[in-house]
Amino acid sequence: MPMDTLWLLPALACYALSAGLFVFDRLSGRTQATGYAVAILGAGVVFHAFDLTARGLQAGNIPVANFAQALSFLAWLTALAGLAMIVRLRLAVIGAFVAPAVILALGAASLAMSSGHVVLPAPLRSVWLPIHVTLAILGYTMFVLAASVSIVYLAYESRLKSKRALGPANEGAPSLEKLDRINYHLLGWGFMMLSLAIVSGAIWADATWGHFWSWEPKESWSLVIWVLYAGLLESRLTIGWRGRRTAALTLVLFSVLVVSFVGVNLIFPGKHGGSFG
Amino acid sequence: MDQTLFIVGINHRSAAVALRERLAFADDEIVAALGRLRDSSPAVAEAALISTCNRVEVVGVTSDPAGAADETLKFLAADRSVEQAAFADAIYSFAGRDAARHLFRVGASLDSMVVGEPQILGQLKLAYAQASEASSAGLILHRAFHKAFTVAKHVRKGTLIGHGAVSVSSAAVALAGQIFDTLKDKTVMLMGAGKMAELTARQLNALGIESLLITSRTFDHAVALARELGGTAVPYDNYKPYLKMVDVLIGSVASTKPVLDPDEFESVVRERRYRPMFLIDMGVPRNFDERLNALQNVYLYDIDDLGALVQRSLGDREREAEKAEQIVELELESFLKWLRGLDLTPTIKDIRYSVERLRDVELGRHRGWLAQLEPAVRDRVELLTRGLTNKLLHRILSGLKQRDDKALDAAFAAEVARRLLGAEFDAQVHDLHGADDGDDDDVDIE
Repeated sequence: MPMDTLWLLPALACYALSAGLFVFDRLSGRTQATGYAVAILGAGVVFHAFDLTARGLQAGNIPVANFAQALSFLAWLTALAGLAMIVRLRLAVIGAFVAPAVILALGAASLAMSSGHVVLPAPLRSVWLPIHVTLAILGYTMFVLAASVSIVYLAYESRLKSKRALGPANEGAPSLEKLDRINYHLLGWGFMMLSLAIVSGAIWADATWGHFWSWEPKESWSLVIWVLYAGLLESRLTIGWRGRRTAALTLVLFSVLVVSFVGVNLIFPGKHGGSFG
Repeated sequence: MDQTLFIVGINHRSAAVALRERLAFADDEIVAALGRLRDSSPAVAEAALISTCNRVEVVGVTSDPAGAADETLKFLAADRSVEQAAFADAIYSFAGRDAARHLFRVGASLDSMVVGEPQILGQLKLAYAQASEASSAGLILHRAFHKAFTVAKHVRKGTLIGHGAVSVSSAAVALAGQIFDTLKDKTVMLMGAGKMAELTARQLNALGIESLLITSRTFDHAVALARELGGTAVPYDNYKPYLKMVDVLIGSVASTKPVLDPDEFESVVRERRYRPMFLIDMGVPRNFDERLNALQNVYLYDIDDLGALVQRSLGDREREAEKAEQIVELELESFLKWLRGLDLTPTIKDIRYSVERLRDVELGRHRGWLAQLEPAVRDRVELLTRGLTNKLLHRILSGLKQRDDKALDAAFAAEVARRLLGAEFDAQVHDLHGADDGDDDDVDIE
C-alpha cells in the first residue's frame, strides 16, 4: 500500500478501532465502550494531523494536490468536527456513523494515495488554493455531520412514533428537538461554506483564466447542490419544515453530494477532476 | 469476641402500613431511641435504626443473636407502646451472613417496594449518621454500613436497576424529555379532570414550563387548578384556538368519541410550522384519534402505550436485579472475610498457651533447687512467675484486642505472634490444633 508517512497507519487503526467500539455500543444499547471510542478517535485525529502536516510540508501548501489527499483532508476535518460535537454537545451517538464515514473516506484515500512527491500543477499554485479548498471541504464536513445527525434523528423518531422508546439505552440520548436544531445549524454552516467556496473559486478562476465560470462538471454540480441545500433551508424558514422531513431530505441531498464528489472527480476530468475536491 | 451482625425489623412485605406506622420513628427521635435501646439491651453491642415509610429495622452487632433479637423486640414494643403480640408475626430477624446480606440488599434498593428506587440509600446514610451521633455504631457497624454504601454504588453503576420510568406519569415526563430539548419554552395544556392527567401536568409544571393551560367541562375546576398551579384556565367550548400554541397536550376528558379530529388537527400542525407536539391521551375512552400519531412531528401516546413502557421498565429492573444480587453476594463474601478476620480468639488462645508453657519449661529446669525450698517460699516463687506471665499476657492481649480503626487483622496478628514467640509458639499451635478439632476461626456467622 503506497503510504509514505509513518502516521497514516496508526491513524487508520485508531479510526477503525474507534468505529468498532462506537458501533458495538450502538448495537448493544449500552455506553460502556463510548469513553474509549472517543479517546481513540481523538488519538486518530492526532496521528492523522501528523500525516497531513508531513504531506503539507512536502508540498509547501495544504495537502490537497489530488483527489486522495482531498479525501484524506475531508476525513480529518470530519473526525475533528465530529469529535468536537461528541464532546461539546454530548452526542456520542453520532460516533457510530461519523467514525465509520471517516474510516471509509480515509481508507479509500490511502488506497489511492500515491507515494513520492506530488507536484501541484503550476496554475494551481496560488494563495487561493488553501482558501477555496478548505472552504469547500469544510462545507462537505458539515454535510457529512448533518447526514450522521439525520440518521440518528430518523432512528429515534421511528422509535418514538412506534412507541418503542424509553429503553434504558435511550436515557441520556439527545432529544429530537436537539438533533433537529443541530442538523439545521450544520446545514446552515455547510451552506455558507459552500457558498464561499463557490465565490472564492470564481474569483480564483477569474484571476487565473480570466473568466469566473466555465460550466465544467464540478462547477455545475456544485451549483445544483447549492440550489438544493438552499431549497432545504428555505423550506424550514418559510413553511417550517423540520424534523423527519428535513432529516430525510438531508440524507437525499447528501447522497447527491457524494455522487458529485466521487463521481465528478473520478469520471469527468476538468480543472477539478483528478486533482482535488 | 465472635461478634456478628443481626437485624430485626418489618417492611412493606411483612406488614401493612397500619402496623408499620405504629412502629415507625420520626427522624428526630432516633438518636434518643438508640440510647434507650442500648440501655435496655445488654446483648446489643452496636445498633442503628432505619425507619422509612416502607421499613423499620434495627441493625446491630451482638455476640448473642437470639438474645439481641429478643431484647430488640421488647425494646420496640416498649418504646413504641405496641404489644409485642401485635407485631411478632410480622417481624423478621436475621443474623450473621443473612443479616449482612439483608443490609446490603436494602442499600442496593433490592428490597424496596419499587426495586431500584434511589431514596433508600439516602435513608440508610441518615440511619448511619444517626447511629454515629448516638455513638451506638462501632467498628463492625461502621464497616457494615460503608460496605452497604459501596454495594449500592456498584449496583447502581454496574446495572440498569435505577433506569426506566416506573409510573405512567413519569413515563410521560420521560417521553417529553426525548422529544423536547427543554421544557422551559413549552406550553402544556391539560384537558379534563382525570387524576393521572392532573398528576402528569403537575410533574411537568414542576420541571419548569413556559405556561400551563387548563380546560375542563367544569370551568370552576379548571380555574381552581389553574390558580393552584399558576396556570391559565381556558373555557372548554373555546380551547381550540389555543391548540397551535400547545407543545404538550394531556387529554382526560370524559367523552364517548375522540375530541380531536385528525383533519382539523392537521391545520393546527401546519399553523405551528411543524414544531413537535406530544399528545398524551389519558382518557378512557380515548380522547385523541389514533391517526393523529401519523401527522408530521406529532407523537401520540395513550394510556396503554405508557402502561406498556412502565411494564417493560419494571421487567428490565427485575432482570437487572438478578445481576445486582450477584454483586451483593460478591461483596458479602468480602465483608464476611473481614469479619472473620476480626476474630482473634484462636491467636489469643495460642499466645496464652505458649507463654504458660514457657513458664512451665522454665520452672521445670529449676525443679532441682526449687524442690529444696521451703514449701511456703516455693509457693511464693510460683506466684511470682505466674504474676509475671499474667502481666505480660495482659499487656500483649489488650493491645491485640484493641478495637478501633487500627484493629489487627487476625491473620496478621497470628503471624506477629508466631514471630515474637518463635518455635515455642509453633509447637503450641501444632499441639493445640492437633488436640482440639474444633475450628475456632469461624465466626458464628454461617
